[in-house]
Amino acid sequence: MEAPQVTVMPVTGGTINMMEYLLQGSVFDQALESLLHRLRGLCDNMEPETFTDHELVYLLKGQQGNPFILRARRSLSHPTSPWHLRYLGQPEVGDKSRHALVRNCVDVAASHSLPEFLNEMGFRMDHEFVANGHIFRKGAMKIVVSKLSRILVPGNTENTERLSLSFLVELSVLAPAGQDTMSEDMRSFAEQLKPLVHLEKIDPSKQRH
Amino acid sequence: MSGGPAVRVSIESTCEKQVQEVALDGTETYVPPLSMSQNLAKLAQRIDFSQGSDSEEDGIDGKPRDREWTKQEPEEEEGTVKFQPSLWPWDSVRNNLRSALTEMCVLHDVLSVVKEKKYMALDPVSQDPTAGKTPQVFQLISKKKSLGTAAQLLLKGAEKLSKSVAENMENRRQRDFNSELLRLRSQWKLRKVGDKILGDLSYRSAGSLFPHHGTFEVIKNTDLDLDKKLPEDYCPLDVQIPSDLEGSAYIKVSIQKQAPDIGDLGTVTLFRRPPKTKAGTQQWHVKLEAAQNVLLCKEIFAQLSREAVQIKSQIPHIVVKNQIISQPFPGLQLSISLCHSTGEKKNHRATPDKPKPDDHLYVLEHNLHQMMREFHKQQLSSVVMPHPASAPFGHKRMRLAGPMAYDKAEITSLQHNEGLLEKIIKQAKHIFLRSRTARTIDSLASRIEDPQIQAHWSNINDVFESSVKVLITSQGYEQICKSIQLQLNIGVEQIRVVHRDGRVVTLSHQEQELQDFLLSQMSQHQVHAVQQLAKVMGWHVLSFSNHVGLGPVESIGNASAVTVASPNGEYAISVRNGPESGCKVLVQFPRSQTKELPKSDVIQDAKWSHLRGPSKEVHWSKMEGRNFVYKMELLMAALTPCP
Repeated sequence: MEAPQVTVMPVTGGTINMMEYLLQGSVFDQALESLLHRLRGLCDNMEPETFTDHELVYLLKGQQGNPFILRARRSLSHPTSPWHLRYLGQPEVGDKSRHALVRNCVDVAASHSLPEFLNEMGFRMDHEFVANGHIFRKGAMKIVVSKLSRILVPGNTENTERLSLSFLVELSVLAPAGQDTMSEDMRSFAEQLKPLVHLEKIDPSKQRH
Repeated sequence: MSGGPAVRVSIESTCEKQVQEVALDGTETYVPPLSMSQNLAKLAQRIDFSQGSDSEEDGIDGKPRDREWTKQEPEEEEGTVKFQPSLWPWDSVRNNLRSALTEMCVLHDVLSVVKEKKYMALDPVSQDPTAGKTPQVFQLISKKKSLGTAAQLLLKGAEKLSKSVAENMENRRQRDFNSELLRLRSQWKLRKVGDKILGDLSYRSAGSLFPHHGTFEVIKNTDLDLDKKLPEDYCPLDVQIPSDLEGSAYIKVSIQKQAPDIGDLGTVTLFRRPPKTKAGTQQWHVKLEAAQNVLLCKEIFAQLSREAVQIKSQIPHIVVKNQIISQPFPGLQLSISLCHSTGEKKNHRATPDKPKPDDHLYVLEHNLHQMMREFHKQQLSSVVMPHPASAPFGHKRMRLAGPMAYDKAEITSLQHNEGLLEKIIKQAKHIFLRSRTARTIDSLASRIEDPQIQAHWSNINDVFESSVKVLITSQGYEQICKSIQLQLNIGVEQIRVVHRDGRVVTLSHQEQELQDFLLSQMSQHQVHAVQQLAKVMGWHVLSFSNHVGLGPVESIGNASAVTVASPNGEYAISVRNGPESGCKVLVQFPRSQTKELPKSDVIQDAKWSHLRGPSKEVHWSKMEGRNFVYKMELLMAALTPCP
């Protein structure tokens, strides 16, 4: 009995071609309340949603220089929710006038055996952290205000230590490739948050020294 | 004494000024000497004006003067000899004042004499004519100039005043504009873009996915012409809504008999009057609310038409211009149309038929609005929010589809299966079925008097289900004959009937089925009533059948029959009642009462003559009594002899 044929052509449809548009900023702890009020007013009218997540970053070191990074994230406040596996590509170096950071993004939901699976595949965990904060939504835009904490003992999410005295603010949109209309909306939304927080395009590759 | 050196003697005048105080270091402060006016005042205080010199008595001219002169001469003579110390410095003042008084008295006398015109008369002095002209022109010019300066001052003052009043008004209007803006902001979403104030009247922040932007602009209306009177409904704030949302709209839902002509579609022009605005609401509020309503109606209609085209159904839905037509039941058509009037001028498009009475179903329109808003709310539910936070938006259960390996059946069961159009069609079907059932029951009740139909509709219904309890009774005998009680559950396409004795019958939507069923129940009731009556009257039920197999075949239901015997057994009444054939009553007499008795040798004993023999039909229509049961009771009473 022959195994069914495996296509060698790369998969191009479905969720593979989604792009993530991202703007980031930060606020001090003291300014958090006013930022949350402002977001509550600007975003869709829902009950404010808080979250606590635990993220593990896995690396696959190949022969080439750049390792392959996968991010596995689970919710600590909703333990029965599936894990979320994410791949983020390199930021697109398109025209400079684009207001947001654009990169290829692949999102997959996974069951609770994900860490073991990744270990078996050869990935090694690089670091992990706990993020908790608030999540807002305006149409297709997602605004996440989170505080990152470092895990002191690996595997123990109770014992955490805050990494900084500020909150990370991220504005992101998931859209199929080729649709560039979202960056304008993102920019105008970022304008409305202007005096409280400056959301801008931060290139992660330029951050490393 | 000479001889010695000269001694320098310094002479100092005595200090004329008085020393006021000596300071500790030896300096002396002098009282400042009196100034001239102060000196004068001091001296004037010493004059006693009431006491003049003795020579002055009254105001006669020459005499006192002469006397004075004569007095003064010897005085002067005396004065040449020695200096008169009694001549005090105020003498000249006193003399001048006295001469002034004299002059005034003279003038007063002259004027009083002239007034009488007897002894003295006034004559004008002729003026030099050459001396008058040029001064007059000068006078005119000078007067003009002075008037001009005065007028300019007044004008300047008036201008300042009017400017300040205008500024006050402007400030007040600005304040009014700001307070109006505050009120607007408390109810609508506003944001500032550049120097324009824009607002959002769409439902996007409430969960809508309609791509209309819904942006309106706030306009300041404060630069007015001050001369014109302010209009009644003046508001310093005005809003400009998008042009395609102007006017007002509503969604008309109606059920009609199927239109034979398809060419008439898309011409719905029936429009109802816009609701009266409440007093006290601002114009901008009314405008914005109307625009928002138009937007919602457009969204509802867009969703309905999209579903009408996409969803496959047995009878396809027709979408023409602003109307969607579908067939809930054969011969019936449901039309949903978006009526949008821009309010510019009334549409006088002639419709072929006269304006029908408004068959718009308000309940369904309201339900459409509610279902749309519920759809919006579902978009915003927290079920959509991702946990963990980095996951994309989507329903919670769909996220489990991957890890739990759902198959297609499970996934389709998770998705929303019913759209807006299907729901509204189901509701329309139910409403129509319910109204037709009510009409059927009412028409039967008004047509048939003998068994009476009562319908008790339940107050609390569902959008898809209503229920009614139908009782069939005879007048006057409700307590005895209450065996037919039907509970009708009206659903979307069927009516389910539950009988008191437990039978369940399902009727279709056909009107005739329900009518036939009720008629058959009514005929069964008559027979049941006889059975119950017999119990009360003491008669014995010999046989009873709901569905009798004998006699003519009924086209509706079955005939039922009962036979009851009198207490002493002599008489028996047989009743057969059918929905179509009516009722047939036979009475069985004892053999002893029949006219012809067949003579026979078999029967020896006389007691056999008491048995029931032949039966005779009763002319039921000639029977006395207002209804069947009453007649039956009378018959039974007649056949029961008094002891």
